Amino acid sequence: MSRFSRQTILPDFGKEGQEKLSRARVLVVGAGGLGCPVLLHLAAAGVGTIGIVDGDVISESNLNRQTLFGHQHTGKPKAAIAAEILKQKYPDLNFEVFSDFLNTNNALEIISSFDVIVDGTDNFGTRYLVNDACVLLNKPLVMGAIYKYEGQLMIFNFGDVALNYRDIYPNPPGENQIPNCAETGVLGVLPGIIGTLQASEVIKILSEVGKVLSGKILFFNLKNTSFYEVAIQHNPKGRENLPKSEKYFKNRNYNINCGIAEGINWEKALDWTRNMNNSILLDIREPGEKPFFEKEYLSKKPMGEIRNNPESLSAYENILLFCASGQRSSQLAKELKQQFPEKKIFSVEGGILDPASPLNSNEYDT
Amino acid sequence: MEGLTVKAFGMIAEKLPEQEFEFPKKKDTEELLNSLYNEYPDLKELDFSLAVNQQLIQQNTSLEGNEEIALLPPFSGG
Repeated sequence: MSRFSRQTILPDFGKEGQEKLSRARVLVVGAGGLGCPVLLHLAAAGVGTIGIVDGDVISESNLNRQTLFGHQHTGKPKAAIAAEILKQKYPDLNFEVFSDFLNTNNALEIISSFDVIVDGTDNFGTRYLVNDACVLLNKPLVMGAIYKYEGQLMIFNFGDVALNYRDIYPNPPGENQIPNCAETGVLGVLPGIIGTLQASEVIKILSEVGKVLSGKILFFNLKNTSFYEVAIQHNPKGRENLPKSEKYFKNRNYNINCGIAEGINWEKALDWTRNMNNSILLDIREPGEKPFFEKEYLSKKPMGEIRNNPESLSAYENILLFCASGQRSSQLAKELKQQFPEKKIFSVEGGILDPASPLNSNEYDT
Repeated sequence: MEGLTVKAFGMIAEKLPEQEFEFPKKKDTEELLNSLYNEYPDLKELDFSLAVNQQLIQQNTSLEGNEEIALLPPFSGG
């Protein structure tokens, strides 16, 4: 029996459904809690070409929900490792790896060569970016999102009335409502459920079996195991907020990730510094501030000096700033983000005094 | 007895005493929102969409008195 016999014997799916999957090209944006189950099921089902976009590396704290990865993968790039694992399991499938975060420069080009797009990203900025790009390119988008014990599922640009995220939420929410990406808790099985539903909808779109959940938003609550469906419709206010053309899209700023200044915890900050190209971890305290650190993984440049000459950081793609408590670095991260909107700029939360900081020790007196 | 059922999701539910509760009849969704804002001022800081009987609405909508209203915030996590 072939690998797919259990699905090809389904009368309505059949060999035809399988051929449709094997000819398809699906792009999964974000190889995280949602992306992992999506990827596992699309690959197992036999989707011929799978693109994986993720600029992040694997952290120990990802492992409760990012079920493709294990301890041995920490510190390694998510997209490449996901492709490597799946290629080992299913050598006949094709994988295309994009080890960058999606941005206005690369999004349209990457998305345009795929048939269906899956959004499993972890921030509003990228969600609106993927949504707007899919509207411009008229690509079916299967979006999943989670918050603590709850999840959302939506299918856009598909069916008789093509709807999009802005029909439900015309604008991204204010900064006060954006949960800190790294710090909001989540039970690992929740994205497993929502991601598996996303994979199921992708397979239905491709194989034309069943009724795709378009024109609706589906809520799931893990605590009481309940679903709630809401019908959506065309929203003129949302349409006004879409970029009018690819040119407008490329000039728009989608950097609203994780609120005020992007925060990052020490675990991730050290992972990034050690494993991502063009990354720098910067001690921005003024000269004379104690204690002094000499570590191979950190560099020093006082805040005042950076403000006078931000161009001195232009060679770096990922800039991670820390100070004593995280206050000054948060302020500076915000300023630098204005200067370099395309770069990843983070403030290490809690600074040196954070309990998780490798620099935190008793010798430090404030 | 006439009354509305209010269902809340995500961050919105955290600002309310319960995820689902009964609320006195209001003439339209605007009046309902104002009453909710009065009773639970924390809600004012949050963006959410509204559904009446599982239909998303985009403008003030009149209510008969026994509808189910859902307060639907966007989720960003993945």
